[in-house]
Amino acid sequence: MMRAACLLLLLLLGLPAARAQEAAAVPPSLTAELSVRRVEVTTAFSGAEILVFGATERLIGPEGDEVLVLVIGPETSMMVRQKVNAMGFWINGPSARFNRVPSYWALASTRPLTAMLDRVERADLRLALDQLPLVQLGAQGPTFRNALANLQQEAGLWVDRDRPIEVSGGRLFHARLPLPATVAHGLYQVQVMLVRNRRVVARQELRLDVVRTGTSAFIADVAREQPVLYAIACIIMAGLAGWIGSVVFRRG
Amino acid sequence: MQVYLPIAEMSVDALLLLGIGFGVGWLSGLFGVGGGFLLTPLLILIGIPSPVAVGSGANQTLGASVSGLIAQWRRGNVDVRMGTVLIIGGFLGSLAGVQLFAWLRRAGQVDLAVAIFYVVVLGSVGGLMVRESLTAILRRKRARPQRLHEHLWMHGLPFKMRFRKSRLYISVIPPLGIGFAIGVLSAVMGVGGGFMLVPAMIYLLGMPTAVVIGTSLFQVVFVTANVTFLQAIQVGSVDVVLTLLLLAGGVSGAQFGAAMGTKLRGEEMRALLGALVLAVALSLLWDLLRVPESLFVIGPVP
Repeated sequence: MMRAACLLLLLLLGLPAARAQEAAAVPPSLTAELSVRRVEVTTAFSGAEILVFGATERLIGPEGDEVLVLVIGPETSMMVRQKVNAMGFWINGPSARFNRVPSYWALASTRPLTAMLDRVERADLRLALDQLPLVQLGAQGPTFRNALANLQQEAGLWVDRDRPIEVSGGRLFHARLPLPATVAHGLYQVQVMLVRNRRVVARQELRLDVVRTGTSAFIADVAREQPVLYAIACIIMAGLAGWIGSVVFRRG
Repeated sequence: MQVYLPIAEMSVDALLLLGIGFGVGWLSGLFGVGGGFLLTPLLILIGIPSPVAVGSGANQTLGASVSGLIAQWRRGNVDVRMGTVLIIGGFLGSLAGVQLFAWLRRAGQVDLAVAIFYVVVLGSVGGLMVRESLTAILRRKRARPQRLHEHLWMHGLPFKMRFRKSRLYISVIPPLGIGFAIGVLSAVMGVGGGFMLVPAMIYLLGMPTAVVIGTSLFQVVFVTANVTFLQAIQVGSVDVVLTLLLLAGGVSGAQFGAAMGTKLRGEEMRALLGALVLAVALSLLWDLLRVPESLFVIGPVP
């Protein structure tokens, strides 16, 4: 991937193909890395932060290179239900089911996206929440989709504010993207793109694993794979806890 | 201190859960009820999804009732025969209740159903308790001669059985029916149902007060165990971390509550409990009636 990007860049710069052999020696136009490759969800997990950092070949600025970071979490399905008033009570009314919903989606860029990229390019790369390829079943209409986007943003799972990427020393950049405590576990795709002259000229893909570990992973696995065993364990543990508690705290 | 709940898939302040457990345990010790009817609404209020609140609430009630049952058992206050009949009804009821719960979940109406069950059940029980205890307080001076127990028409139904400890010779149909109803409520509301079972045993079955608490705890322990089992298997919504945190606060609170409870008079205590039950019902009713903050809700596909 990296090599292909370098090659493309060389061709764009009009260098003779023969000199592509020396590509390894040429500094890459974009390098990026994650501070952690693995986020562990333990019983003490209360959210985390994805720190993406890297450097560009040229100076970062409107005249030179620009960077954008896109993080997409594992896909899931979700129900969106509308509340309707029936005889004075607010009840769940029509519902829409969305498939292929990214459980996490966040975007950060050095400048507002509209100023950085052409509209067509933005649409091609699906660099906006309203351009996500969601599959909507059940109730139709854009209100459900908008509600999904709003509620996911409120939960901090979709981040589409202009979160600036911070730049230091002209070429060093870093972006912090928040992972709330409710994040799904699975494989997260982190795409770092280099923008030059309103076009994406290089990109690097990084992978981030969000895994449940320790007791919480163990409990969730047992509950899912051995529900009978889990149920019996819950009963016994609750009973024991109640009994032990009454012995410990007995007064007199 | 935040703690991640593996089944609810969210992180909650552990101290908040311990505090809720302690408060509910204190009240349950004070009034001699399981406290599940307060616990589940409180959990929903702090943002725990309804299915997890109900499943873990039932599991917590099981733990909270065990110590009470052991104490009553030692004093010989458990009518095992009556308890067994109630449990048979309760098992069937909780089986039906969990099916109903799973069906409501697929239909996307769990939150509404749980809220309506709470409003109706707590509203009527709370209202009756307040009325009954207020009349008792007003009439305290007038002592009435009491019969052993009233004979209702339903006691004469077929399949009569002798319950020695309760000094009853009645049909098994009313206790089976009561057990069934409590089982359904236990599965849908995540409660033990002691607050309904106790009046039903006194007023409908005519059991002597001495064995009522022990026998109701006997039924509650087994039925909540059954609800825990079925909820864990069918809905997958029992969070053992949540349960244990609530129990840790609950068992200590219950002892303090029980110590304080001996200083209060029966009628005043029932009036207070009734007022508390009514307040919970009204706050849940208000949640159903007020315009919601967001007209849309999202959730996982059931």
